[in-house]
Amino acid sequence: MAVPGASLVPILLLGLGTCLAASPSPKGVECILFNEEYMTCTWGSGQTLTANYSLYYWYENKLPVVECQQYLWDRSVRIGCRFEQSEIIQFQAFYVRVNASCNGQTLEIPSNRMELQNLVKPEAPVNLTIHNMSGNQLQLTWSSPYPKEQCLEHVVKYKSNKDTSWTNQEVKGVIFSFPSVDYEKYYTFYVRSKINNYCGNTQLWSEWSVPVFWGNNSTSKGSSGPERPRSPRRPRSVLTVSPRLVAGVAEEQLQWFWIHTVLIPIASCLLLLVLVVLLVRMERVWVIIMPRIPNPSKNFDDLFITHNGDFQVRWLPWLTTPLSWWQLPTPLTPLCPSRNGSESLKMLWRVSSPTTVKASAT
Amino acid sequence: MERMIIFCMLFFCFSMVLTATSPKAMKYKQLSKTIDHLKDVVKDKDVELLHTPENPGDGCLLTAVTCFQNGILKLQPKNSQVNATFAKTVKILRRPFLPVSEEHCESSCESYERKKPQEFLNSFSKLMQKLFKNSTAERYGKSTI
Repeated sequence: MAVPGASLVPILLLGLGTCLAASPSPKGVECILFNEEYMTCTWGSGQTLTANYSLYYWYENKLPVVECQQYLWDRSVRIGCRFEQSEIIQFQAFYVRVNASCNGQTLEIPSNRMELQNLVKPEAPVNLTIHNMSGNQLQLTWSSPYPKEQCLEHVVKYKSNKDTSWTNQEVKGVIFSFPSVDYEKYYTFYVRSKINNYCGNTQLWSEWSVPVFWGNNSTSKGSSGPERPRSPRRPRSVLTVSPRLVAGVAEEQLQWFWIHTVLIPIASCLLLLVLVVLLVRMERVWVIIMPRIPNPSKNFDDLFITHNGDFQVRWLPWLTTPLSWWQLPTPLTPLCPSRNGSESLKMLWRVSSPTTVKASAT
Repeated sequence: MERMIIFCMLFFCFSMVLTATSPKAMKYKQLSKTIDHLKDVVKDKDVELLHTPENPGDGCLLTAVTCFQNGILKLQPKNSQVNATFAKTVKILRRPFLPVSEEHCESSCESYERKKPQEFLNSFSKLMQKLFKNSTAERYGKSTI
């Protein structure tokens, strides 16, 4: 018998007391979408729960109610459910109900109405890279495994080995400029991300990224955090990123950036220009686009003058069949007869004036 | 040879058209910001409740947007000092921004529950979030603010 409602829980506890341990009932269902790839909804841990749980979920206006396909276990107790990407719909009201049953009695734990776009937790940023810019400036860039960069906002946390507390800086893009860097200090940078207000209303920050270091670690005074302990004067190690190495990596990254945003557009524009010029200059191509319609009148000016308006023109034999557009005669292409034997069409031109030519077939 | 040149040119033109960035995402971002401004200046007490579409499906987007745009006309500024901001934001939000298309939506505007202006604007904001998210291209490293 399902009995929902918090008010009835104490009565039920007497009956389910043998099953349930110190913490009587799950606090509630907590769902998180990890990087929009999968979601887990959990209601407790194996230490506190001992009943038999089952989860049912549905979307508003999209029944039926479905049971969880993949449960999460802890010490042979179901403590959560895993949803795959195909089972997740955002911007739709999502409801979950967890049934706790023990000794034939069932307790229902309903959840609140949820909207899954507000429960997205992106993955931590990766590929943190430091570039040396001109004028003592540093530029930190990273990328995010989350597919839609425009939906993210980031926070950079940094500290030098001489500072006592971390500085947090909110950033909207994937580039953070650090204005004036002291070459004597040793800096540590972390980044984390969150879905911004344009894609959801969340407060779920990702985990902090793997740190990136910069600078000279000659004195370890004041250094804290996960850096290695006192290092020698020369800051060369597997984990630290020395300025020379950083400069090399930075230059390579910068080169790649210039290639992508400057060289490729310019090259493609130039290529287009070359093609256009070729097109216009090549007469063969020009004639194909703008074919010359044969105008017989001008060709016969001289003939008209010589013969005083009365002359005959023999029409060429292979022109008895209709011409295709690429067979039109041009000044550069000599006409070549393709076949012999077809009848010639003799055309008699009666020329009344140089500009009008009347023809009749004989 | 000449046909190759012509085809090359056509290919270039088409590829340039395809790589042009869609202005839709920017439009929804701008509208989201405008709705946030309007939330600060709108009167929420003793006002008429408005029909508020809640999570419309893909087949009901145009109906929902029209419903929101009509509801905005019934809003009022919270005091006379914010009249200018209020008028400006209302004007921006009333402009049509979805292409007119045939839509067969089962729910009409009147079928939605009536809510207070702040909840009405929150739902409008949520619709903009959905449209923005669906229109963003999944490109690496590019961010347009």
